[in-house]
Amino acid sequence: MADTEDLAERLLGIAPDSPLAALRAERASIRQHSEGAYRELVLPAEPGGVSLAERAALALRVALIERHEDLAAHFRALLEQHGDAALLAAAQRFPAPAGADRTALLLRYADMVAVQPECCGQEDIDTLAAQGLSPQDIVAVTQLIAFVPYQTRLLAGLRALQEEASA
Amino acid sequence: MSHFTMETVGWEPRIPPVDAETATPQQLAALEACPPAQRRSTYFLTLANDPGSLGERGALFNAVMYAPRGLPRAERELATAAVSIVNGCIYCTSVHARRFADLTKEPEVMQRLLDEGFGTELSPRRRAIVEFSAKLTATPGELSGPDLKPLREAGLTDLEVLDLIHSIAMFANANRLMQSLGKSVPPPPE
Repeated sequence: MADTEDLAERLLGIAPDSPLAALRAERASIRQHSEGAYRELVLPAEPGGVSLAERAALALRVALIERHEDLAAHFRALLEQHGDAALLAAAQRFPAPAGADRTALLLRYADMVAVQPECCGQEDIDTLAAQGLSPQDIVAVTQLIAFVPYQTRLLAGLRALQEEASA
Repeated sequence: MSHFTMETVGWEPRIPPVDAETATPQQLAALEACPPAQRRSTYFLTLANDPGSLGERGALFNAVMYAPRGLPRAERELATAAVSIVNGCIYCTSVHARRFADLTKEPEVMQRLLDEGFGTELSPRRRAIVEFSAKLTATPGELSGPDLKPLREAGLTDLEVLDLIHSIAMFANANRLMQSLGKSVPPPPE
């Protein structure tokens, strides 16, 4: 992917010469860091203790929870690239897999943070730590899960602007 | 009785925040990207555990809330307070409700909103902002072009609408981070 590529532009088909592209250029820093945060969370150069496959799986799951088909398709393709069939199946299973293995715990944590973060407690964080996730890994995972709801609403808002312009 | 308040609410992290004295250069650089007044807050020091995401996300947050022109800052605070109410984040609501009150000098308007909910009396422009914030937060998949009409009728320009969308989206993220990585500590009852 080229450095200039922008996920929102690609998913929404925002033409470079369109009024919406010009409007977004007035907030170039927001456009830049929306893309930058996405890349840092989902495609980091140094993934640390959370693999690219796990990151794609969590992003896919939250996009499915948010019912954003295009975003989910994007993350599904990333997961097919980085992960195996078992992880791809687990990430798309609702309700999340039971069990105390790392994948199941991560997917259930994604459900909680995405859907009812107010129910999160110390024990949920401690459970991740007991699986060997460092404080950095826990922050990275939480940032990632919480970022897809940002992307969903950004895309929904930009889509509404497109529809308004073409009405 | 509403559990939302404009009083100062504490926040306690569930993982150890980074110690600013012993932070790595990368962690310090990431903190520099965050809003100046909040760089040494417990919240940002907790996020500094993962400096890569904090650097980008901090710069994003800073631009969304403080970029010049466009939607007046008080209305960004109104939107983020409304989103935080929908998401049930007591800490975020208190912070952004207070900033709205400080910027507008109309604490009574925010207090009514906190006590009575979104049905309370509001100016047409504020009502349009609050209702759009609630809809995009709760049901983003149902948003469509006609949902912008009340904002346009209230006089919002293209840039103001874009700023509003950014503010609302940012707090889908902030509320989830705040509530999972730590807990709100409400002020003691009087």
